[in-house]
Amino acid sequence: MAQEEKIDSVGLLDENGLAYFIAHAGELEHPRELVIDVLRAIQKNHGWVPDEGVELTATILGLEPIDVEEVATFYDKIFRRPVGRYPIHICDSICCWSNGGEELAELFQQKLGIAFGQTTEDGLFTLLPSCCLGVCGQAPAVMIHQRHYGPLSADDVDELIERLRREASE
Amino acid sequence: MPTLTIDNQQVTVPDGTTVLEAAEQLGIVIPHFCYHKALGAVGACRMCAVTVVEGTFKGLKMSCLVKAEEGMVVTTDDQQSVEFRARVSEWLMLNHPHDCPVCDEGGECQLQEMTIASGHGLRRYTGKKRTYNNQQLGPFIAQEMNRCIQCYRCVRTYKDYCGGKDFGVMGSRNRVFFGRFKDGTLESDFSGNIVDACPTGVFTDKTYRFKSRYWDLQEAPSICPHCSLGCSTVPGGRYGELQRVRSSVNEKVNGFFICDRGRFGSSYVNHPERPRQATRGSWKLTVDEALQQLDVKARELINQHGPESVLLLGSNRASLETNWLLQRWAEEIGCRAPLLSAHLPRHQAAQVAAFDLADRLCSLEKVRQSDLVVAIGADPLAEAPMLGVALRQAVRSGGKVKVFDPRPVELPCDFEKQTVSPTELLDLLDGTSVESKQLVDLLRGAERPVLVAGGLMLGAGGMLRLKKIAAAASNDQRNCLVHPLLGGANSFGAALLSLPEQDDLLTRLESERIKMLVCVETDPLLEAPDNERFAKALSLLEELVVLDYLPTPLSVHANLFIPTTAPVESEGTFINNEGRQQLFAPVIKPRLPISVTGEGNHPPREFIDVAPGSDPIPSWQLFQQLLGEATDLPTLREKMKTAVPRLIDFETLQPGGVSCRVAHVDERCIYTDEIPAAPEESLQLVVTPARYGSDLLSRYSAKLQPRFTEACVQLHPQDAAARGLQDGAKVVLDTVEGPFNLTLKCNDKMAIGCALVENGPKFQQLVPGGKLSFCKVHAGMSHG
Repeated sequence: MAQEEKIDSVGLLDENGLAYFIAHAGELEHPRELVIDVLRAIQKNHGWVPDEGVELTATILGLEPIDVEEVATFYDKIFRRPVGRYPIHICDSICCWSNGGEELAELFQQKLGIAFGQTTEDGLFTLLPSCCLGVCGQAPAVMIHQRHYGPLSADDVDELIERLRREASE
Repeated sequence: MPTLTIDNQQVTVPDGTTVLEAAEQLGIVIPHFCYHKALGAVGACRMCAVTVVEGTFKGLKMSCLVKAEEGMVVTTDDQQSVEFRARVSEWLMLNHPHDCPVCDEGGECQLQEMTIASGHGLRRYTGKKRTYNNQQLGPFIAQEMNRCIQCYRCVRTYKDYCGGKDFGVMGSRNRVFFGRFKDGTLESDFSGNIVDACPTGVFTDKTYRFKSRYWDLQEAPSICPHCSLGCSTVPGGRYGELQRVRSSVNEKVNGFFICDRGRFGSSYVNHPERPRQATRGSWKLTVDEALQQLDVKARELINQHGPESVLLLGSNRASLETNWLLQRWAEEIGCRAPLLSAHLPRHQAAQVAAFDLADRLCSLEKVRQSDLVVAIGADPLAEAPMLGVALRQAVRSGGKVKVFDPRPVELPCDFEKQTVSPTELLDLLDGTSVESKQLVDLLRGAERPVLVAGGLMLGAGGMLRLKKIAAAASNDQRNCLVHPLLGGANSFGAALLSLPEQDDLLTRLESERIKMLVCVETDPLLEAPDNERFAKALSLLEELVVLDYLPTPLSVHANLFIPTTAPVESEGTFINNEGRQQLFAPVIKPRLPISVTGEGNHPPREFIDVAPGSDPIPSWQLFQQLLGEATDLPTLREKMKTAVPRLIDFETLQPGGVSCRVAHVDERCIYTDEIPAAPEESLQLVVTPARYGSDLLSRYSAKLQPRFTEACVQLHPQDAAARGLQDGAKVVLDTVEGPFNLTLKCNDKMAIGCALVENGPKFQQLVPGGKLSFCKVHAGMSHG
């Protein structure tokens, strides 16, 4: 449970967010169920979850850091290392694969000049393989933040990258 | 009780038994990794596949998960099962490195055995292997994650069974990693168990690294000498050096695991200053000469000054055999019966356990199965660590644990704590107070209640009070059982042999009638209450004789010193806190380790027919020599059983078994307790054993040094504030045994009105266990 003394969010959560989680954790029988919510809030603010974020989550929820780390490292959508502003999850499961997923992955790597797991030099894009994104109807698909894009043709890829670059420069 | 057929052999097993366990009873070992008797089955490794031919669910099944059924027919050696297991084995081995010849686990690796057993002999996989960065987990455990096969046994042992909090499993798929959030020493007091639990070489004993190959190690079943629980262990040594200790199985006592104090506290055997030579002052003697001198001198003094003039002192570190023979030798030379403990209050508490509580004592197994354990005046992690793990099992099966204690007790499980002072503890047990009645009601409401009695805190008087509570909480259907915590490995045994004792060592020494004191494996300078006074009384002696295997301060003062063997170098018996007679077997022979005599060269270049430093012989043999009878142990034990009928089946017991408890006896009820009036503005003095180094054996074990804590006196913040004292201040602790300069630590988890000090390597002056005593704490510095 949250300590009585003030918790320092070390800039990873804003004041409202911190207050909300502390209050909410106090109401729950098992504050552990908030682990992902807190981690995602930290990720939204900071782009990824540093060690301090794991420790902060543990403090808010009255857990040990290892309890949070177990969850944080299990999910590939929680980033424990810095990623670009737009992490692109490219689906490598069966529907996307049978609809040109491999070619799509190749295309992204070519266009961005990076391999899977790498980030572009301008810090905008990170390419990550992903298991099924749950949008087989849109195969081949990718996910960026909470949005799905698909089916993607070669032109769509150009347009998507261009749009995100524009968005970033605004 | 279903009867089933496994590989054409019939076996009848209790309801709920799994096929894997049933097969084990037939001597059929089905390969497995994730199943462990204490940890249960999770069906994760898929290694224990068998074919169910007849049964509710037919076909290929995991034998650790399938319960035995009436009329079931199972085959373990059919082609389908065998091939399946071979493929599982191959799959588990995909990422496993080819480092068996240099692996620390080589020769005692379950993965190695099971891989061979499952018929996977040739590797087909040629791809890249998954590799990890290892973590630094502190001085005790080495990690080599590349060897991991993801059986989860470590985390199930560390976290689930032993209640450790700083270890877990991270990642997913083929990237799972077992370790800590960050590098650092594993915090649990039971961390070493992951070494035993790991079926391969991921977690190994760092203190044993590069010392011996398993097949070169000398091992034997033994009993842990570090506290009164008497956990089963298997120490291992080579070339005169005790190199490691692993846990052994005794389902009545420790189950499958041991604590870190027991595991890493064994290097006292190899202590560089261990005395291995009989001496008189600076003269070297043979053991025979020394014994001769002892015998002549003792008889001479008794002739001259009467039976009072020679005082023999046994101990709870010495075996039952030694203590018994010491008594026989006293009869032989005609002196008074020996004292079997340097610490009378501890000894009296042990006597209450050995006599008055004998009919309601219970094992650790019963603690694990209890639905309500109330611990009174007990700090398990300090006094009997594995009790903490047993309490956790009680809680895991739905039981409750309640602790009444003045100390900031920690346990590896959820529990309810009532922080009370030592006098309040005695009030709680008086049978008339409201709290006392509530306690009895609480115990009456439980089906399998157990009272844990902290012998050090309660003393004989408190233990007798607790007996009445237990009696009041018992009924025709079930007894309220008691699990007592005593001072040392053989406290119960020493108590069992003793007559009711009211005279303490100091009083007798200060009477000035004693001319000769013979200390057998005990050092009152470290173990007796008021050891300052004892030190002064030593000057009144004409002859001090010390028989020991530790380089204790007393051995320096000895006129005559005779070296004895450590428990791992001799056979003997300890009786544990619940009265279980447990035998230990010799592991190594006493001698200077070759690592010392060889001075780094191997093999050592000096060729002599006797190993250097091999003089020490078991203390029971020394007394046999003095008595002029050289019988073997079975004959000796038969004699002892005739003399002490409570030692049931003593002559037939073997090291390594479950063993049996001593017989019940009529209660003695001879001790009374008085609660002294508290002087004004005083605090109750609470002396507690440190978790590491409170027993002399772990104090002399260099391996445990990283766990030793700094000396301090602890007060509740309220008491500190009332005295105008700040956390970290230099203060004087004024006790009846004198003033001590200490650093103050405030702790709001301890009782108000008490001052708490830990007895350990950094503070040896005050010894835990004893009568209620009071003290003052004030600022400043004493120059006493």
